[in-house]
Amino acid sequence: MKINTNNKVSPENTVCPGPVDLWSPNRRGFMQAGMGGFLSLFFAEWLGTTSRANAQDTPKNVRPKSCILLWMNGGPSHLETFDPKPGTATGGSTTAIKTRVPGMEIAMGFPQVAEVADKLAILRGMTSKEGNHQRAQYLMHTGYAPNPTIVHPSLGAWVNEELGVTSADLPNFVSISGPSLGAGFLGVQYAPFVIQNPNQSPQNIAYARNVTAERFGMRQNGLNFLEQGFQNETQDAKVKGHREVYSKAVRMMHSPRLKAFDVKEEPMAIQQAYGNTNFGKGCLMARRLIESGVRFVEVVQDGWDTHKDNFNRTTKLLSGVDPAMATLIKDLSERNLLDSTLVIWMGEFGRTPRINANEGRDHYPQAWNVALAGGGVRPGVYGATNETGEKVVDKPIMVPDLFATVATLLGMKPDKTFVSPIGRPISITEKGKAIPELIGG
Amino acid sequence: MKSTKPLSLVTMLLGFCLYGVLPLYAQDELPVSQIDHLIRAEWNKNSIVPSPPTDDAHYLRRLYLDVIGTIPTADEVKAFLANRSPYKRYEALAHLLNSPKYVEYWANYWDDVLLGRQVKRANVDRTAFRDWLKGQVSKNNAYNKFVYELLTASGVNTSLASTVMPNGVMPSMESDLSGKSTLDSRVNGAVNFYLKYANTPADYSGTVSRLFLGVQIQCAQCHDHKTEAWKQADFRRFTACFMQAKVQPVNRTLDKKRTMQVELTDNAQPFKVPARLAGKVKDNGRTEYAMAEPAALDGTSFATEGNRRQAIAKWITAPQNPWFAAAIVNRMWAHFLGRGFVNPIDDFRDSNPPVMPELLRKLAEDFVAHGYDLKYLIKLICSTQVYQLSSLPAKHLDEGNTYWARYRLKPLKPEVLMDMLVSATSMQSVLERVAGDRLPAVKAAMQKQLTFLFDVDEEFEQKDYEGTIPQALLLLNGGITNNSVTPLSGTALSDVLSLPGTDKEKIESLYLRTFSRLPNTKEVAYWTKFLNAPREVGQTPIRQGSGLPKQQAYEDMFWGLLNSSEFIFNH
Repeated sequence: MKINTNNKVSPENTVCPGPVDLWSPNRRGFMQAGMGGFLSLFFAEWLGTTSRANAQDTPKNVRPKSCILLWMNGGPSHLETFDPKPGTATGGSTTAIKTRVPGMEIAMGFPQVAEVADKLAILRGMTSKEGNHQRAQYLMHTGYAPNPTIVHPSLGAWVNEELGVTSADLPNFVSISGPSLGAGFLGVQYAPFVIQNPNQSPQNIAYARNVTAERFGMRQNGLNFLEQGFQNETQDAKVKGHREVYSKAVRMMHSPRLKAFDVKEEPMAIQQAYGNTNFGKGCLMARRLIESGVRFVEVVQDGWDTHKDNFNRTTKLLSGVDPAMATLIKDLSERNLLDSTLVIWMGEFGRTPRINANEGRDHYPQAWNVALAGGGVRPGVYGATNETGEKVVDKPIMVPDLFATVATLLGMKPDKTFVSPIGRPISITEKGKAIPELIGG
Repeated sequence: MKSTKPLSLVTMLLGFCLYGVLPLYAQDELPVSQIDHLIRAEWNKNSIVPSPPTDDAHYLRRLYLDVIGTIPTADEVKAFLANRSPYKRYEALAHLLNSPKYVEYWANYWDDVLLGRQVKRANVDRTAFRDWLKGQVSKNNAYNKFVYELLTASGVNTSLASTVMPNGVMPSMESDLSGKSTLDSRVNGAVNFYLKYANTPADYSGTVSRLFLGVQIQCAQCHDHKTEAWKQADFRRFTACFMQAKVQPVNRTLDKKRTMQVELTDNAQPFKVPARLAGKVKDNGRTEYAMAEPAALDGTSFATEGNRRQAIAKWITAPQNPWFAAAIVNRMWAHFLGRGFVNPIDDFRDSNPPVMPELLRKLAEDFVAHGYDLKYLIKLICSTQVYQLSSLPAKHLDEGNTYWARYRLKPLKPEVLMDMLVSATSMQSVLERVAGDRLPAVKAAMQKQLTFLFDVDEEFEQKDYEGTIPQALLLLNGGITNNSVTPLSGTALSDVLSLPGTDKEKIESLYLRTFSRLPNTKEVAYWTKFLNAPREVGQTPIRQGSGLPKQQAYEDMFWGLLNSSEFIFNH
C-alpha cells in the first residue's frame, strides 16, 4: 500500500508491503533482545515509556529519541533562509541578520530563529542531483532516488519501525498538514497517521452521530461476536491482525493522550508564541505529540516553489515559519525534550541564485541548506557555498550522508539492512556515512 | 468461448459430486482435471491434506469479488442457492464474464496496473486511457494483441471534442474546423501509457519488462545484476527499442485545467537533443539510451528495423517468447488464488524459481493455444478444484501454503470495498436522491477517501493483515458506514425492517446482503437476543415510529456486519 500524497510526491509504482518473516516486528524484537531483553521489552511496552528497539541498550531514565521534521514543501530558497548572500547580484533584496552565535548570520526573515541559533546546526553544503519536485521529495523523505523496482520507506516509517512502541495508544508516526510519504516496502502499519488540518481533531476519532459510549459498547459486543466466530472458524492470522488493528483504533479513540492533538489545551500565550498559522499550530501539536510519546512528527509548510515573486513570498512564508520554529526549539528546550528530540528543517532542494525575469528563483539541487536542532546534534555552521550561493565550496553533503547522520542521531544503525520483497537487501540509508562533526552536541 | 463437451461420465459425476462445476473442455485442451491432478500430486508429495471444498454461498461470493469486483445481491445469492443445476457454478461464472461489471472491473484493474493509482503527469488523459481499456476488455481482445497495441500505440492523447470553450473560441492552433476533426480522429487513448514515462525512458522500459515479461531488468539500470545474467548493456539495448517514440504538442489548450493535446509518433531517428538546445534540456540519460543498439532481452537486434517499437512489441508478444505468456498466467493465477507460481508475481529469475514449473508451463502453452483469451484463462482457473477449496483450515498444510491447499484470505481493493459497501447497504438510490446531479462527485469523494486509506497492492502477497488505524476509524465512526446503516427510505435496512416476518427472516436478509450466506442457528440466536435486549432510545433516530430501540439495535447489528473480517476479506 502507499499513502496518498495529494500534490506531494508519491511512489508511483506499487509499494511492496510483503513482510519478510525475519524482520516481522515481534520476531525480530524477540530474536535481538534475547530473553532478558524480551522481559524488559515487555514491561517497557507495557509502561509505554521506552521503545522496543532501544529496550536492550538504552540506559534507564534516558528518554528515547524522537524526531520532528519541518518540511518546507516546494524547495525553500537557501539564500532567503540560512545562507543569505547580501550585497551580491544573486542575493537580491534579502539582508542578513546577526544571531546569538557570534559570526553566524542568517537571512532577515528569521529574527526569532536567530535567538535560538546556538541550538542550530546549519548545513550549507547540501547537494543532490534531483531537481524535479516529485523525485526530490522522494529523495529527501527516503534518502533514495526513486526506482521503479522498489518503494522505499520514508524516514518517519523507518523511525516507526525501529523506535516505535507497538502497544502505544497513539500512532508512532504522525504527519500534519499534508501527508508525508508512506512506509514503502515496510508495510502500511508503519505509514503516517495523517492530520489534514491542525485545527481539527483526527478524522473519525469521535463517535458517529447518534452514537453514545454506551451504544458504541453494544456495537462492539456485536462486532466481537462476529470476529470471534470468524476467527475460530478460519484460525487465520489475518483475522487476528484485523482484530488487533481494530482494538488499537478503539484504544486510540478512548485514550487520555488523545488531547495531545488539541492545541487549544495550551495556554493562550504559548499558542500565540507559536503563531496563529496552520504551521504554528502544527508545530505546537508536534511538541504535544512528542511529549505524549509519539516518535516522529512531520509538519508541512507548503508554498516554497517561488518561481515568481520570490522575495515577497518568502518573507510571508517566513513570518509564519520563524516564530513557529523558534518557539518549538525554545519550548522543547525548556521542557528538557530538546536533547531527545531532533528537529529537522528542510525541503527538497534550494533555488537558483540567479534571479529570473519574474523576480523568482527556480529549482536548484546543486547547493542548498538544511538546519538541525536538538537530538544530540552539534550546533554550528557546517559547510559553505561560494559568494554567489551557486556552488558548495566547503564540506559538501550528499543526501545519504545526511540520512546516515540523522539515523545515527536518532539511535538507529544507518547500515542496518532489511530484505525487500524481491529479495534485495536495503539499508536504512544508502551507503551513507554519518558526519562525525555533527554528532555530539 | 469454444464449444465444450464433457470429457467422460466419470469426470462429470466427480465434477458435480464434489464441486458442482464441470471441467468442460475438449480433449486437445488442457483439462481442468489435469491441473488439479498435478497439484494433488504435489500435495501428496508434501504430505498436504487440503482444506475441504467450499460451499456454494462462499464460492459465489468469491467468484463475484474475483471476477467482477463486488458481492452478489441477496436475491442473487438466494437464486444461486436454490438453483438445482449441477452446472450452476459454471453458469454463474459465464454470466459474470458477460456482465458489464466485468468490463468495468478489469478496465480498472489494468488502469491501476499500468498507470498506477495516482499519476499526475502532464499530458496523461486518464479518462481516455480508461475508455481505451474498456474497449479492449469489452471486446475481449486477445492479450497479445492488447499488449501489442498498447506498446506500439501512436496518436493523440486526448480529445477536445467534448470541450466547450468560453465564448466559443476554438482552442486549436489549427484554427479551421477540419484541422480539429483531423486531430480528434487521431486520438488513441492507449498512448497515455507511454506518456506517463515520456521523459524517463528507463522507467518505461523497466515497467514494460516487469509487467509483461515479469523480468526486473530495471535492476540493471545502475549495475550489472548480481545474481542474474543481466548486464547494464542489456538494459540500455532494451531501452533503446523505445527511443524512436516522440511526443509533440499538437494543440495547446487555453484551459489549463485540461490536458494538453500531444501526439505520440515514431521518429525514424532515435531521440537526440537538438544542437541548439544542447546542455539546456534535461537529458535523463536519453541520449545514451538512444545511441545503444536496440535489442531484445535475448539479444535479438533490431538495429535494422524501421520501427523499433513494433519490432520489440512483436518480440515481446510472440508465442516463442519464454516469459510473456508465463507472466500473465502467473499474474492471473495469483489474482484468483492469492499467490502465484512466482512471487512477487513480476520477478521471474533463475534465483527465484517458480513452484510447479511444469504446471506453469502447461498453463502458459494452453493460454497461447487458446489465442491468449483472458476469459478462457479465467474460466479455466475458476473451474479448478483448487480454486474451489475453502478458506477454512486444512488438515495438514505446508508452511507458507505454497501449493494453494487452502484458499487464502485476500484483502480487498478500495474500489471493491466501495462497491461492496454500496451494494450491501443499497446506498445507490439514497445517494442519487440526496446528491442529485452531484452524484458522480459525491461518489468520487467517497472513493477518494477509501482509496486514500485502503490502497492494496496485489502484486505482493500479504502474509499478515496490513490494515491501519485510520482505516479502522473510518469504518468504525465514519459516514460511509454509519450513514449507510440508517433506515433512510430506500436503504437496505429500511427494506429489511419493512419485511413482514420474524427477526430471524430479517437477520437472514442482512446476512445475505453482507456475507452472501445464511446465518447458522447460533448466529440467529445471538442476534435475536441482541435485537431484543432492552436499551434506551437513542437521542435522534432518523425515522419516527414505533419500535425505535429495536430499529437502533438493527442499525448496530448491520454496523457490526459491515465492520467485520468476514465482510472485508475475500475468503
